[in-house]
Amino acid sequence: MSEIRLVHLTKRFGGLQAVKGVSLRFLPHTTTCLLGPSGCGKTTILRMIAGLEAPTSGQVWIADQDVTNLPPRRRDIAMVFQYPTIYRGLGVFENIELPLREQKLSPAERRKRVENAIQLLGLNGSVNKDPSRFDNGTRQRVAFARAVARQSSILLFDEPITNVDPESKFRLKQDLKKLTQELKQTIVYVTHDQNEAMTLADQIVLMKDGSVLQQDAPRQVYNHPSHRFGGWFLGNPGMSFLDHPIPPSGAGLLRSDLFPYLVRLSGELPMDARLSHKVVLGVRPEQVQLRLDASADAVPCEVLRKFLGVAGQYLAAVRLREHTVWVKCSNQLGRKLGRQAYLRCSPGVVTVFDDNERALSVRLVRHEELVKPSQPSPEAMGI
Amino acid sequence: MAEIELVNVSKSYGPHRVLHGVSAAFARNRFSVVLGPPVSGKSVLMRLIMGLEPVGAGTVLLRGKDVTGEQAGTRCIGYVPQSFALYPHLRVGDNIAYPLTLAGRKRSEVRPQVETLARKLRITDLLEKYPNQLSGGEKQRVALARGMIKETSVFILDDPLVGLDFKLREQLFVDLREMLSEVDGTFIYTTSDPLETLALADHVFILDEGTLLEQGELNELYYRPRQVRTLQLLGLPAANLVPGELRGGRCRTALGEFSVPGFPGGVQRVVVGFRPESILFGVPAGYQSLHGTGHAMLREDLGAETLIYFEVNGVRLVGAWSNGQATPVGGDTVPFAVPVEDLLCFDADTGENVFSADSLAAAAPTFSRS
Repeated sequence: MSEIRLVHLTKRFGGLQAVKGVSLRFLPHTTTCLLGPSGCGKTTILRMIAGLEAPTSGQVWIADQDVTNLPPRRRDIAMVFQYPTIYRGLGVFENIELPLREQKLSPAERRKRVENAIQLLGLNGSVNKDPSRFDNGTRQRVAFARAVARQSSILLFDEPITNVDPESKFRLKQDLKKLTQELKQTIVYVTHDQNEAMTLADQIVLMKDGSVLQQDAPRQVYNHPSHRFGGWFLGNPGMSFLDHPIPPSGAGLLRSDLFPYLVRLSGELPMDARLSHKVVLGVRPEQVQLRLDASADAVPCEVLRKFLGVAGQYLAAVRLREHTVWVKCSNQLGRKLGRQAYLRCSPGVVTVFDDNERALSVRLVRHEELVKPSQPSPEAMGI
Repeated sequence: MAEIELVNVSKSYGPHRVLHGVSAAFARNRFSVVLGPPVSGKSVLMRLIMGLEPVGAGTVLLRGKDVTGEQAGTRCIGYVPQSFALYPHLRVGDNIAYPLTLAGRKRSEVRPQVETLARKLRITDLLEKYPNQLSGGEKQRVALARGMIKETSVFILDDPLVGLDFKLREQLFVDLREMLSEVDGTFIYTTSDPLETLALADHVFILDEGTLLEQGELNELYYRPRQVRTLQLLGLPAANLVPGELRGGRCRTALGEFSVPGFPGGVQRVVVGFRPESILFGVPAGYQSLHGTGHAMLREDLGAETLIYFEVNGVRLVGAWSNGQATPVGGDTVPFAVPVEDLLCFDADTGENVFSADSLAAAAPTFSRS
């Protein structure tokens, strides 16, 4: 259907620059999630696409038309808000049909569209009930159906499942999955919940402070964050970070808390990273393993805290020489975990960031030699 | 001795009874979490402890002394409410000091106290800022400090993270125990969130529809719940529940049946419960389990975990695949198994545990499926 294109879009509210020169493309038949913490500008962007907010500068294009100065009703858009709107005094059918009455459609066509939407959202059992008595979840499904029945080329969702109970959340997620598979529309979905974005999106646009940090498929954003913020924001909890000085003459050799051996940066380090003499290693809690017994490839650590988390796993904060790292472990291991443990990490899983929080294309590899207590330290070797 | 004790406390608004004979003891220097779904009566219970509302019936004891009839002011309890409006025209330090200056103490006099608390809560660098210069998480830390500035040993935190962004909440509940580790005191924290409870609690109280269903050590309640609501509320995702029937030493469910030797005769309607982590995917055949093949409904990607929702014979189940690997069950069909020793069985009417893994193991069941 219609591609949405934002060209250097900016929005100011008084002294606050809410959106800072954002250029993006939203592809047809694709669900794109605008993801970020509150105040990152995601909702403002959505409202500018809808025409509910005028950009300070820049353009909004839909298909091949510059719609920047068009009112919302001329943009061929349907939108679902955080708080579901129900028109009181109207039944479920009429609630869904209402926006269609403004369009030049035959009554038969209207009926067909409403019935399809009711079918798609599994509202058949609710059609004869009074929608003003519905819980928030069911109201939101009526609002979904109303948006779907429009058959507009673009569907916008503004945190639509934030204010519903867990059971409705589950239903709405299922519905959204189904909608994105069955409809050929361009869907833009705003959320601060990374799990929602990971589950529902084809593409994630990660935002912070009015700017776009990364646009990629969910797994790509999770596995290969382009920025330290993405490593932290995605994941429950996100990455732990370890600051590392890189000695100027060190040939890329590092001695990190994470490994009992030397590691090496593989690949060319950009000049500014070399000049800052510092890199940051990021590692996810599920990328490191704890063990109860010492082994040659593990470093000793102190377990500061442990507690149960999602699906019976344990989350542990462990202290290495200079850094604290979060680790996820199985229920069986977590229950046995005492004060002392050993941490094992494969260098290949570590993401390397520069001093400006950008991910580098270099990888960590194990340097051949093991560090043994009898050997001189890397510092003594001048690296 | 318990710092705070409630004896048979009830509360009604008009004909509407919101608390039913709650008896609970909150121990000194412990972190107690009252876990309950929205409108279960958590906030009302906290307001009764604070003395902000009179109890309908029952007794409130503070350090052994009956304070039921006393005003909130004389009880001296620190309070962090749900909504945390900071005064925009006051610097953070003065916001924190506000409860003390309101009571007539001089700003200069309370300054050392503010600084000590700020150091313990790790917000010293915020003291000179104004609220509009703070991030959401920093604001909440300041609100926390304001609730804790009183010279007291009892602090009530009434669902302090509700309504905050997902990530902000996670960061705060992961950090909160560490922040509070240098503050001596008895903490009572209410929430409807299982992850907050698991990360924070020493002791858990399960409140549902105004009734205190169960209380105990966190691990005790997680691994050996005596009430089906405890199993359901304390854990994420919520545990799986399947209706069943006990008859002649066997339990029949929509997922199959298993034998329960040693179970007294008669017929009983039950609910069989098990946690998502008890569902095994891709296990070798012949495992002692309830097993079958389900139809996939939804996969939720949490990054490190995938939650797999599926349907079997009209029952919806959820399992989890952890450690960040691709799931072994990617298609429409979901083969699964639940080891019989992980099954918990509750009376369908009272919700009380009928038998559990332990009693099953003791009875050495001979498992069979028909």
